Formats: sequence, structure tokens, C-alpha cells
Amino acid sequence: MYAYTDFDRRFVRARAAQYRDQLERHLRGELSADDFRPLRLQNGWYVQRHAPMLRVAIPYGELSARQLRQLAHIADTHDRQDAGLPTERGGFGHFTTRQNLQFNWIPLERSADVMDALAEVDMHGIQTSGNCIRNITTDAFAGIAPDEEVDPRPYCEILRQWSTLHPEFAFLPRKFKVAVSGAREDRAAIAWHDIGLQLRRDEAGRVGFEVFAGGGMGRTPMVAARMHPFVPWQQILLFIEAILRVYNRLGRRDNLHKARIKILVRAEGQRFVDAVHEEYRAMVERDLGASALVIPDHELERVSAHFRLPGRLRERLDRPAGPPAAVPPEPADRRWLERCVHPHRVPALRAVTLSLKRAGLPPGDVTGGQMRAAADLAERFSEGELRVSHDQNLVLPWVHQDELPALWAAARALGVATPNVGLLTDMIACPGGDLCALANARSIPIAAAITERFADLDELHDLGEVDLHISGCINSCGHHHSGHIGILGVDKDGSEWYQLTVGGSDGTRASGPAGPGRVIGPALAADEVPDAIEAIVEAVRGAREPGERFVDTVRRLGAAPLRAATDAIRQQPSAGAGA
Amino acid sequence: MRRVDPATDPWRRAPSPAGVPVTPAAGLLLDEAQWQQARERWPLGVAVGLWLTNTAEPQRLADDLPRLALLVLSFPKWTDGRAYSQARLLRARLGYRGELRAEGDVIADMLPLLARTGFDSAVLRADQSAAAAERALGFFDCGHYQGDLREPRPRYARP
Repeated sequence: MYAYTDFDRRFVRARAAQYRDQLERHLRGELSADDFRPLRLQNGWYVQRHAPMLRVAIPYGELSARQLRQLAHIADTHDRQDAGLPTERGGFGHFTTRQNLQFNWIPLERSADVMDALAEVDMHGIQTSGNCIRNITTDAFAGIAPDEEVDPRPYCEILRQWSTLHPEFAFLPRKFKVAVSGAREDRAAIAWHDIGLQLRRDEAGRVGFEVFAGGGMGRTPMVAARMHPFVPWQQILLFIEAILRVYNRLGRRDNLHKARIKILVRAEGQRFVDAVHEEYRAMVERDLGASALVIPDHELERVSAHFRLPGRLRERLDRPAGPPAAVPPEPADRRWLERCVHPHRVPALRAVTLSLKRAGLPPGDVTGGQMRAAADLAERFSEGELRVSHDQNLVLPWVHQDELPALWAAARALGVATPNVGLLTDMIACPGGDLCALANARSIPIAAAITERFADLDELHDLGEVDLHISGCINSCGHHHSGHIGILGVDKDGSEWYQLTVGGSDGTRASGPAGPGRVIGPALAADEVPDAIEAIVEAVRGAREPGERFVDTVRRLGAAPLRAATDAIRQQPSAGAGA
Repeated sequence: MRRVDPATDPWRRAPSPAGVPVTPAAGLLLDEAQWQQARERWPLGVAVGLWLTNTAEPQRLADDLPRLALLVLSFPKWTDGRAYSQARLLRARLGYRGELRAEGDVIADMLPLLARTGFDSAVLRADQSAAAAERALGFFDCGHYQGDLREPRPRYARP
């Protein structure tokens, strides 16, 4: 993974010092709450329901064991409350769909100390919030997936450096998210991003990007439109700056809900594409300094060197392989191999998902102790490296096949070996109304109730792959739009209700072209949701043809029979209120 | 990055009675409409500045830029970042060499961004502290990753 240079270190320390100055001015009353807000947001500090929330950047999801230990230390020492319910004492982090980590209980007064603690391990919260270019995300299996055409990580790092404190694009109309995929399978949901980049090789083997823009969720879900079929990699920063400049100048700033680039792309259509191409041409032909945006070969080479196979592992792979590991005898072990162990571009290696979807803890949550234990696993089995996946799990990317039995035992002891990856209980969920000030409804109890309802692994495996996504409000942090089953928390007269959608897709081949699901019927009360999910599952199971995938049956059936199945659940008289 | 004190600043907005052309005089700041009306007969020897809204198209001024001593770009809200793109276009694409000033809701914490997008002066909002402004410009002595109007080379291309 990328190793910080001396410059990178000085830079994050400079940022921490700048933030401390801003915090101290705010605490002294010299910087108003209104002026401080955008400054703290661009360092990852929200103010939430109970306390500030800190979103720590994990660039393109790559995390070292040393960094995870420091995050554990922050969870244990800073993310703490002395009063409140047992669930309100802190001490944990939450991995997000954008491969970041959030803390929920750090007092604002300690925020500058936490930034210093992060800087010690080459971490920060730069641009994890605010109306700027956010953390670049990618495939959790980047650089290791057998179906990869081009390793996206060096490009992600170049994009990270280019976007970090970019002076022209620090105050865009709205937040701006970029995702990159380099594999044939899109595991980064690029079509749902403000800019989606698909790395490709042309017939001559040259590397370039298919560029999409204008995707996004929220109250107006939109799939990104193609801006360019193939931008050579050397030119990609120029092309992205062209998109951002057009957006910065023309994006709406009069209405928060219409400020994302997707609204501009939709309103302008081909005119937007033309404007981007015209801006790109003007940059190339006329701008002083445009050549500094052309990435030279030696810079790609320098950055790529960080992402080579870890050295110790190379040596081990050079030695003759031992006999293949015995097939584990227990059905549960086989299930783990099937669901949590993934093929690797190096034949003797595997990637292993540590499932953070288990009973008793919200999806994506880890306590300080679990972080430390996961760091131990990474050091013991994966060259000290972990990945955070879009689905809110952890991945160990460099596991030797001979060590699978030992890893299986260790992961099971830690409670992160549930063989449910890709299945219904491997759900994406936002923190919801328990923690988030924006949410209309809670996500965590819904996730817990569904986990409990679908605890039977035989049933889960029989059902096959299901994307279940839960958002506590229309901001869609839990990606309900792209779920095969989506659950959206809505507020009606001050109480929590949940609207179901079916047939959404994140854009993977298995799920079909990216697109939002369709709403089925009026919203449900919280205690009706697990019954309704079960009713959908039973209706699909009853109708599916041999070998048919869940989402394909859903599409074939359409919304009407699934709505009918959930109508039987809508017994409570108040459930009819609203549409 | 010069901080302009409005009390001693020689520039002033031109009076704008409806339809009456501005009488050329040194130190006048014209808006775009006033300038379009006055540009044909504005004497070469009289320094003139323009005040632009943040929706103005810099390209429209391309031919006039060598005649302008000052361009003022406005920040109606400090979180409205349109003027950063205008500044960059004026400097990097259109080759504007005169003074480029930020005005409006300008706070000390914006100074590094202004300096890096081609501004060379700013009128800070009245409540801003000079000490904070001084500090704001000093945190990143190490430089930045990407090139900008002050240092066109990205980090990797610098020694």
C-alpha cells in the first residue's frame, strides 16, 4: 500500500495545526459557529445528535494494521462518554460505504488532539465532508482481483494527491464523490457517483478511463451519464478538472436539494457534455500550467512502486508450494470458504472478508478491542494490510491459501467469520436516527431485527445473493436505492416509518445495470419491517425458477406481486396514513 | 497576499445614475455594464478597475484585460467558490496581469485558497482579525500537492 513520504507527513501535520488554530479561535469566540462549520466539515467533523461525529479518511479503503491500532486507541481513549445508556458510551467506530471510518462520541474540545493522533499514523479527516472533492473510493479487491484489467490504486493515489486541498474546488455547490473501478466487475458502484471512472485498455493495450458523471442518490436518484469513452490516463486530471470547473461555475447554489452535479447533468444533457469537452480543449490549447496536469510516466511509475506485491510475500511465493490445504470438514467451514474467501490474481493467495454483519452489533461497527484484534489478524495473515469494502466489511488482501484454516479459527473466535458475505444479512446500513441528526428514522434496530429473523444460515444460503440496503433518511447514506431490497426511513407526524423498494442495482453484473428500485406500497411501521422482508423473500422463493437469482426473480415478478405480499403485513390501522 | 484597508483604499465604486455614462477618472471601479458603455472612450492613461459578479464570464473581457489595473471578484457568501474558478481563468487562460482582488464575505481562512488561485489582494470582512489572517497564510510552508498560480509545479515535479 502507499507509504507516506516525508512531504505527506509534513502536510498532514500542517493540516492538523491549521485545524487546531481554527478550533481554538472558535472556542475563544473569535470564529462563529457559522464560519467554523465549513472549516470543521472539511476536516471530517460533523455535529450530530449527541456529540460531534468524526469521519476519518481511509483513501480508497486501504488501511494498515498500525493505523487500525491507532483508530482503536482513539476509540478507547477519545470516543468516550461517561454518562448515558450503555449504547451511548462510545468506544467504537463505524465503517461506511465510502470506505471511511466514523466515530460518534468524541467531544469537540478534543478534536484537535485526535487530528494530531491521526497524523501520527499518516491519517486525517481531510475532505471527508463538506462541499468539496471527497475521499476517492474503489474496489476493495483492487490490485488482487482476477478479473482486473488495470490496478486502480496508483491512479487513486494520484487522484488523492491532486484533489487534496485543491484551491479552486474547495467550495463547490455541493459534495463531490469520485469512484474508480479497474475490473470487469464494478465493485465500486461507479455509476452512482458524481464522477465514475472505469479503467480500460484499448486494442493497443494503452490504459485510459471511460468517464461518467452525474450519478447520485438522495431524493433524486440518477445514474451517471457517459462523458468520454476513453481518456488516456496521462490526461485524466485535465478532463476531471474540466468537469469540475463547469460544475463549479454552473452548478446550482440557490437550492441545496438541486446543487449536486447530477441536477446540472440532467438539466443540460448534451450541452453539459459539450461544455466539458470545450473546457478540456481550452485547457489543453490555452492554459498556462495545463501541462503540469499531464501525468508523466515517471510519476505513475513512482506511485505504482508503492503497490507492488509485499516483499516478504514475494519471497514466499518464489518457494515451491506445499500440498494444497485440506478441505475443511465442517459444512460451516465450507460455507466460509464459499462466502468469505475470494479468488486472487496470485494463484496461491486468497482475499478474505471479515464479516462485520453479525448479531449484536450494527452493520459495519467495530469496537476498539475488535479493531485491535483485526489488526492482529492483518499482521499475522495479510502483510499488515486491510481493506474497507463498500459493503462495510474488512478484507484481508494477502492471505496464503495454506493459512486459511488458521485464519478461519482466528476469525471465528473474533466473531467475524459469519459466512454471510453477499447474502441478505450482509446488509448495508447507515448509522440512522440513533446517532445521525439528519435521519428520520433509526436503521440499527431494523438491521438488528432482520439479522435476528434471518439467523438461519441454511435459509440464507438457499436464498442466495441479496443486496439489502437501509437508509435512515432520503440522503441515502445506506444506499437504499441500489438495494435488491431497499428500506428507507421516513418521518410521518413525528413517528418512524419505513418505505420498501425492490429491484435496485449497484451496477454489478449480478445485479444488472445500475438503477433505483421501485417503491412497493405505503410505508410500514418498524415492527412490520421484518415481516414484510420475510413476505418478499417467501414470495420470491415461491416464484423462482431453478437456478434463478433473487434479483432476477424480483425483476421478472415486478413490483405488484411483491407489494401484494407486503400488503398482508400492513395490518396496523395507522399504516395506511400517507402514500 | 495584500490585505486591503477600505479606509485608505484609493479605489471606489463608480456612481451609477441610470443610463448616465461614467465620467473617466482615476481610481474608479466600474461594473460590467458601466464598462461596456464607457470602454470605447476611456482614456488610456486613466487607470480603471472592474467589479465583477461571480457569474460573470471572464472570456467576455479577454480583449480589455491589458487595459485594466484592477479586477475585483466577489464572494457574496464565503462558501460560494465560483470566484476561484474565475480567478484561475483570468490568470491562467486569459493572461491577466493586473491586480486581482477578493471582496465581500471574505474571511481569513480563505486567504491560502485566494493566493493559490491567482488573487493578490483581499478586503477582509470587517470582523476578521489581522493576527488570524497572518497565521492562516503560514500553515503550509511545506507546499501543496497540486500546482497552482503561485507554484505551477506539482509536488512531484519540485526538488
